[in-house]
Amino acid sequence: MSKRSLIEIARWIALLGVLVVLLFPLFWIIASSLKARGEFFTRPPVWIPSHPEWSNYPDSLQRGGMKGLTDSFTIAFCSMAVSIVLGAPAAYAIARFQVGKKNLAFWILSIRMFPPIATILPLFVIFRFAGLVDSYAGLVLCYTVFNLPFAIWILKGFIEDLPKEIEEAAKVDGATRFQIFRNIALPLTAPGLVVVALFTFIFAWNDFAYAVIFSGSNVTPLPVVIAQFAGGHEILWGQISAAAIMAILPALILATFLQKYLTRGLTMGAVK
Amino acid sequence: MDRTKHRDRTFARFMVGPAVTLLFLVTIGPLLFSLAVSFTNLQFSTPQPMRWVGIDNYSTLLFNDSRFLSAMGRTLVFVLAGVVIQTLLGFFIASLLLKVQRYRAFLLGPILIPSVISSVVAAWQGRMIFNASYGPLNDVLAHIGIKGPAWLALPQTALVSVFLTDTWQWTPFLALIILAALQSQPLELLEAARLDGARGWSMFRRITLPLILPVAGVGVLLRGVDLFKTFDLVYILTQGGPGNSSETLTFLTYLQGFKFFNPSYASAMSFIQLIVITIVAKSYLGLMNKRGAI
Repeated sequence: MSKRSLIEIARWIALLGVLVVLLFPLFWIIASSLKARGEFFTRPPVWIPSHPEWSNYPDSLQRGGMKGLTDSFTIAFCSMAVSIVLGAPAAYAIARFQVGKKNLAFWILSIRMFPPIATILPLFVIFRFAGLVDSYAGLVLCYTVFNLPFAIWILKGFIEDLPKEIEEAAKVDGATRFQIFRNIALPLTAPGLVVVALFTFIFAWNDFAYAVIFSGSNVTPLPVVIAQFAGGHEILWGQISAAAIMAILPALILATFLQKYLTRGLTMGAVK
Repeated sequence: MDRTKHRDRTFARFMVGPAVTLLFLVTIGPLLFSLAVSFTNLQFSTPQPMRWVGIDNYSTLLFNDSRFLSAMGRTLVFVLAGVVIQTLLGFFIASLLLKVQRYRAFLLGPILIPSVISSVVAAWQGRMIFNASYGPLNDVLAHIGIKGPAWLALPQTALVSVFLTDTWQWTPFLALIILAALQSQPLELLEAARLDGARGWSMFRRITLPLILPVAGVGVLLRGVDLFKTFDLVYILTQGGPGNSSETLTFLTYLQGFKFFNPSYASAMSFIQLIVITIVAKSYLGLMNKRGAI
């Protein structure tokens, strides 16, 4: 066998190893979500449940999972809407009119660097006075802290990539500035809007730090439900695993079907 | 002409206005509020009257609070180890993927899954995998004759478990960025270097590294900042324990603010973190600048 094909084989073995390490935990959650109670306390552990215990899913929905799913969805969807409605015009103004020069753009990016705890603490005090703790509006507001800068930053990149000529031609034809933005620039940034919609949704959907502090008995997003399950006296391994599987579904869909948008979103637009 | 310019500016302000106002209200506003609070003795647990205490909170933190200082040290080691190890692993995965052009897109999806799921789920699978008696990790270790430790229950391994979970979740992200950087290398340049006799390490150091640094460097910076903010995994995996052995800065700040009801002290803590992050990020960017990377 030639040296070249040996290297080729070694490469594939290494890739396989990487895949196994990265995907094994997911396999383990899926397997656990189908195990019966007794199967969690055996040595050696049960790797594949003998009879899939599907009831873990409805059971976890009943114990707060359903409320978690709908709350998470409501909040993530609203946060996405706010980020796009406020972020797109701001990104357009920064990209095309250089409003605020470089400082504004830099400030918006640097918000990404904040330790969330630095804003969580004062926000909590303020929200308590305003009655926004344990409310949907409160969490949606919290998520603008990271989603809005993200939306502006990504859309700014997309708008800067658009040729200016079309917009200039429209201007000559007598379109107003807002018409140019709405009817020309916005439709052309559709891919950017997709990236922003997906990621702002997922970021809000995945968040735990804000959720655990600003939620209560009224609002319990799914990650908080999972953490509560996991911190209880009697740990319901099967039900928590079922809830965890439901919590990763949106991200799985993203990774599978919308891969071409994944890179740009994950890297804050650094990679196009 | 002047009039157009003027109207341009009005229009632009009208467009950024709502977003900037909202961002100001949820970031700078609270931050200033928090700065003010950090110079008081505000507490929720005792009904003592609030008064200004100057820099008392800061001087206590920096000179008398060993729990804070060891959390700081622990966090910095955590960040440094994370950045180095995850970047190396990320580079390894990226260079594997670079060579399998035809299957790259197909492999990338599954590889990226850990980086797009909720940290709560990552933490939950960590709870199961690191389980000392019933977890698969110690089962596998037992098969090769190693008696696995009680990962989450020992002061020596609790933070390591958090670290491994974080590395599992975020190495794919770095691999993605480094892969993109590697793909953007101009082929002619690589070919020319090869003709000039560049090989292996010298090829990497003189050609590849300078080429990938601008893009990869941004990813490493983002990762470093996020490692510094590690909270979710600690909250679910260890709650900072056993003892304080896995207490990161953000987790300790959370405890001070929300469990010990000590917002003034916690505010001072978060400002020190903000300053540390800024200094580290600035000097990192400066270093990259000097190498001509950004």
